[in-house]
Amino acid sequence: MYDLGILLQIVFWGLYAGCIYILLATGLNLIFGVMKIVNFAHGEFLMIGAYITATVFFLTGFNPYAIILLSMLTLIGIGAIVERLCFRPILGTSKLNEIFLSIGLIYIFTNSAAMIWGDEWQSIKSPYQGIAVPVGSLNIPLDYIIIIVVTTVILCGLYLFLKKTKTGREMRATSQNRKGAMLVGINVERMDILSFGIGCALAAAAGTLWVVSGQVFNPYMGSIPAVKAFAIIILGGLGSIPGAIIGGLLYGIAENGAAYFLGGVWKDAISFIILIIVLIIRPTGLFGESGE
Amino acid sequence: MKYRALFIVILLIAAFFAGCTQQAQTPAQPTEIKIGVIASLTGPASNVGKNMWQSAQVAADEINANGGISFKGSKVPIKLIVGDDESTQQGGQKAATQLITGDKVDILVGGYSSAVTSAYEQTVAEYKVPYIVTGASSPIITHRTDIDTSYIFHHCPTTDSYGMYTTTFIDQVVRPAVNKKIGAAADRPFRLALIYQDTAFGKGVQTAVNDTITKNNLNIQLVSQQSFKMGESDFRTPLTSIKAAKPDAVYIAAFPNEGAPLISQARRDIGLNTIFLSVENNDNAQFYKDLGQYGEGAIIESRFSPYTAPVGVLANTQSKFKNSYNARFGAFPDMMGASTYEGVYIAAKAIENSGTTDKATVRQALIDLNMPQVIEAMKGGTISFGKDFRESQFDLWMEQLAYNQTIGESRPTIVWPDNLKVTGFVLPDWYQPGSP
Repeated sequence: MYDLGILLQIVFWGLYAGCIYILLATGLNLIFGVMKIVNFAHGEFLMIGAYITATVFFLTGFNPYAIILLSMLTLIGIGAIVERLCFRPILGTSKLNEIFLSIGLIYIFTNSAAMIWGDEWQSIKSPYQGIAVPVGSLNIPLDYIIIIVVTTVILCGLYLFLKKTKTGREMRATSQNRKGAMLVGINVERMDILSFGIGCALAAAAGTLWVVSGQVFNPYMGSIPAVKAFAIIILGGLGSIPGAIIGGLLYGIAENGAAYFLGGVWKDAISFIILIIVLIIRPTGLFGESGE
Repeated sequence: MKYRALFIVILLIAAFFAGCTQQAQTPAQPTEIKIGVIASLTGPASNVGKNMWQSAQVAADEINANGGISFKGSKVPIKLIVGDDESTQQGGQKAATQLITGDKVDILVGGYSSAVTSAYEQTVAEYKVPYIVTGASSPIITHRTDIDTSYIFHHCPTTDSYGMYTTTFIDQVVRPAVNKKIGAAADRPFRLALIYQDTAFGKGVQTAVNDTITKNNLNIQLVSQQSFKMGESDFRTPLTSIKAAKPDAVYIAAFPNEGAPLISQARRDIGLNTIFLSVENNDNAQFYKDLGQYGEGAIIESRFSPYTAPVGVLANTQSKFKNSYNARFGAFPDMMGASTYEGVYIAAKAIENSGTTDKATVRQALIDLNMPQVIEAMKGGTISFGKDFRESQFDLWMEQLAYNQTIGESRPTIVWPDNLKVTGFVLPDWYQPGSP
């Protein structure tokens, strides 16, 4: 039979992968919730975040976990510019416009990154690599514990922002009813730019955690995670942040479980099998509301 | 009647002049020889692809510095045209079509991923353009029967060849060393794990390892066989599975952008302190850089390395190539670059021997080719293509890596076979064998 220690380890690798997916999908869901736009270029913000962290790390040697803040702040700025110049002019027009615009952005960001940083794969080394912490029967690398903690802190911060601050409440109101929010005097365009910026910052955090974990990165890294993030928000429910969190964790664990039990080639396929099953049983996703 | 005679006379005169015109249209001396190079300049395989393209440029520059290819008593320069396969099958198809129908190249060189190369082989076969494949190592490249591969020549070892070679090394060198370390009997089965890319390349290695063990009745037990999709960067779960199988060594069939994180994750995250054996395409400067300290003790099957060379006649020519490449591009060439560099020389020689750019004649010249080895060690010291599947035969070797703290990277030393080795294979102190 299967060894419990090994199964726990597989679940742990799933949690780690889930953290990256949660951050990416939560950002995507935040943007969709407020603006109702489909941005297929969201994975490219993860890629840019990864490169910013790596570049600052190479230049300064600072702790990459500290650089995450700089990376997130930079992406808030980049996200705001993209929202203002690209998405706002087409807001409310056909979904096709959003799709083609975001596909265009994928090429622009990918080629720009290749021009600036080169298109060869790169990697960085965490200052904590080689340090492992015994947790029960497992010997967990410290980096992965930090990654899970950082993800939790970011999500708690997002929760507090959305629940406890006036801007957060305005953002939620815009997400729930855009016209109603306008009628009560909320500047919805400000909410758009803010949600887009925060969504991009979450993608930057995901990119930073990606590179710190020792995975290689290149300008083309964003496309697959973005597709998975879309699958996660559909699974969890469009616009639902708890749905993105649960969906991300579920995907991370399911992927790694499939790789273990069925083989590595099933890793991507299993996510979409789950998505199809959930959509058949509950078309609005796990936490979605009808009409989204 | 007189009109009929006049008509016949006119026809004869026209035919005479047509003949003259035809004679005048006989292919004149070309002003340049167009060699198309298919390489992955973008996408996940771009590191290797750029190395191939840049190496081809070094070869063309050297040939052109001597005036070019000897062609009917005079010299004709080479013009290289690159086609970027974008590391994808669709990109490969576009690149091959453009080079063949748009640029009208005389001959093709290159091709890295077997999956990508096999996807556009149909186009090459259809237009009957001689193609010297210098990177894609799956035997299907020239063994497949669904298309006519008679214009395709394979100038790199196949997965059959190096899979067999590495398995033999494991049996003859690693297995006795492990038995000695743990004090086991000589007949203890060696526990080998295999992790491979789920493509023609990776499956080719898997087949070669299984076949070698079976055919030679080797005392090697394959305790785990894991696959992963091309471009994967997180290997922790299959590695956990491998660790559970308690292997004595792990053979990896991966590209360098996969192999380096795979070994790092195995050593750092999984605690799999064993010997990792990599396929030759990993003998790449970026691989050494990414691997860092985790390269210690690892093995690479190779035929050209950026950081070492076998003693003997080829040491100088390899060094000259590396220096030329480094002077121009500020980096070191890898193995795929080396075979592509040779591919340009082979193309030049075949056209030179043909005395024409007619593709059927050039193909025949490739079949009849028997030229001295260039920078890589070839069987018998010559480059020629086998009659069955048009494959050239290389002399391979095994390198073991040692970590150099000063540069923060590992560096290779040849440990096998005996006629090429600089030092012997050693099991590192931290090595942990599988179940005794």
